[in-house]
Amino acid sequence: MTAQPAPAALVVDDERLMREQIIGRLKRAWPELVIVGEAGNGREALAMAQSLAPDIVFLDINMPEMDGLKTARALAGRVHIVFVTAYDQHAIRAFEHGAVDYLVKPVEPERLGVTCQRLRERLQRKPDAMGELLEQLSQRLGKAGDKTHDYLHWIQASVGANIRMIPTSDILFFRAEDKYTRVQTAGFEALIRKPIKELLDELDPDEFWQIHRATVVRVDAIAQVSRNLSGKQVVHLKGSDERLEVSRSFNHLFKQM
Amino acid sequence: MPSNADAPEAGASDAARNLTQSGREAPGTKQTLRDFGRLIAELWWRFFDWLAVVSWKTLGLIYFLGLILAAMLNRPNPFLLFVVGSAIIKIVAGGKRRADLLAGQATQRADAEQLERAVLEARMEALQAQIEPHFLFNTLGSIDQLIQTDPPRASRMQQSLIRYLRSAMPQLRDGSRPTLGQQVELSRAYLEIMAMRMEERLQWTVNVPEGLKSAVFPSMMLQTLVENAIRHGLEPRATGGKVDIGAEIAHGQLVVSVLDDGVGFLPKSDAGVGLANIRERLKALYKDRAELVITVPPTGGTCATIKLPYEIAPAAT
Repeated sequence: MTAQPAPAALVVDDERLMREQIIGRLKRAWPELVIVGEAGNGREALAMAQSLAPDIVFLDINMPEMDGLKTARALAGRVHIVFVTAYDQHAIRAFEHGAVDYLVKPVEPERLGVTCQRLRERLQRKPDAMGELLEQLSQRLGKAGDKTHDYLHWIQASVGANIRMIPTSDILFFRAEDKYTRVQTAGFEALIRKPIKELLDELDPDEFWQIHRATVVRVDAIAQVSRNLSGKQVVHLKGSDERLEVSRSFNHLFKQM
Repeated sequence: MPSNADAPEAGASDAARNLTQSGREAPGTKQTLRDFGRLIAELWWRFFDWLAVVSWKTLGLIYFLGLILAAMLNRPNPFLLFVVGSAIIKIVAGGKRRADLLAGQATQRADAEQLERAVLEARMEALQAQIEPHFLFNTLGSIDQLIQTDPPRASRMQQSLIRYLRSAMPQLRDGSRPTLGQQVELSRAYLEIMAMRMEERLQWTVNVPEGLKSAVFPSMMLQTLVENAIRHGLEPRATGGKVDIGAEIAHGQLVVSVLDDGVGFLPKSDAGVGLANIRERLKALYKDRAELVITVPPTGGTCATIKLPYEIAPAAT
């Protein structure tokens, strides 16, 4: 027998209609290709790739549980991957210079024909490890999220039976009070158990300043700083009449320009 | 501003009437006298306004010049009368009048601020009204597929998409104040589409009393909450989940909530521009009479609630 075994493909997308569409069009564009399986998320895809050993994986980038990028990282070098994405400038730019193929949803039959032609050639070689491309993709798709990921954006505070999520941008200040920390917004206050010390580690230092052992204030909420009769600096807030004393060790924050 | 600023205009029209009535002499003379009286009153109020806002320093300078004039003319009595009279008027009535005038200016400033806020709100609304290309292309792709496999469903999905686009595109709206009913219909169309795409991964309910549908509700806010619930709550989970839209009146306020049983909020997850945008818009529209509250219900997931003043939209004509 001179004929090679028919190539096998796995189609991964979280929407069934999208999978059906690609499979239907693949059948017309490449009748010999065998679709060995369909997966609805990255985790399923990995399991199927293990058990079914496909040559090609059509992989949606935006998926639940384990997204396309993570899945691709796990599969890289073992199978030929064709990325499938809905309209996404960031992703497309990353692909433009790479050898790895990508399809834009909805997949056009003509474009799919080109991909199949390329795949026939790619199957002669070893699957690409895609190291650089995956790095670029995760950078572009990670957006600014990575940079701000380490800081708190929300404070969880119990209000009745519910836990209320207070955006940090609403908070005027935190203040240590006995065993609790008071969270003050323009509209209400809440008590949380997390001590000031721990909060300081998790808050964006550009957004919140400690001005006293017991007080952390949001910089944008400061209306002005004045001196009281005993010469201490006092912070006035926007949206609250409460005054916050600045202890000496934090005076440098408000030195005159 | 003089409270009778329209007096000269009225005088002019009276004078015109005077001309047409010149045939009869008696009413003409009376009219002239009345006009003269109006002119005196007008001049008096102008003087009064000026006296109210002029600084004591300027007034002192004028007294000084008046003193020189009086000395030159050798007529001290009318001068003294003017000094004492104007000083008394300024002390007694000037304060109130001045406050009135300043209040008028403040109102004008407030109007300007209001306008600024309205412009800001319009800009942010446009931002929020942007339709996700992802959503549009994926939906069109699904319709494309359904046309071949299930044409009746394709047609239903397309109709939902049309309804969605009609109310989501700002340029297709009729310019009247958006109602909760319209906003719910928009999100309903969106949920219908998403449910056809996500299949068993999305269940949804809408529980909005008929009577609340005519309440005023800012555009695209509910939709942003629904999109958030699906994108951040349900989509990250393979099994999906449930989205419930509800509305009620509580303590005189309209309370609209979107509840999901998805993966829930993490304190470190980025707030996203959508929620920040809603907060800013609520502030611009209602100052501190409205708020967006995010809670984690005991059952898990996320509940986003918008509270704002209950107001019935004027009936469309």
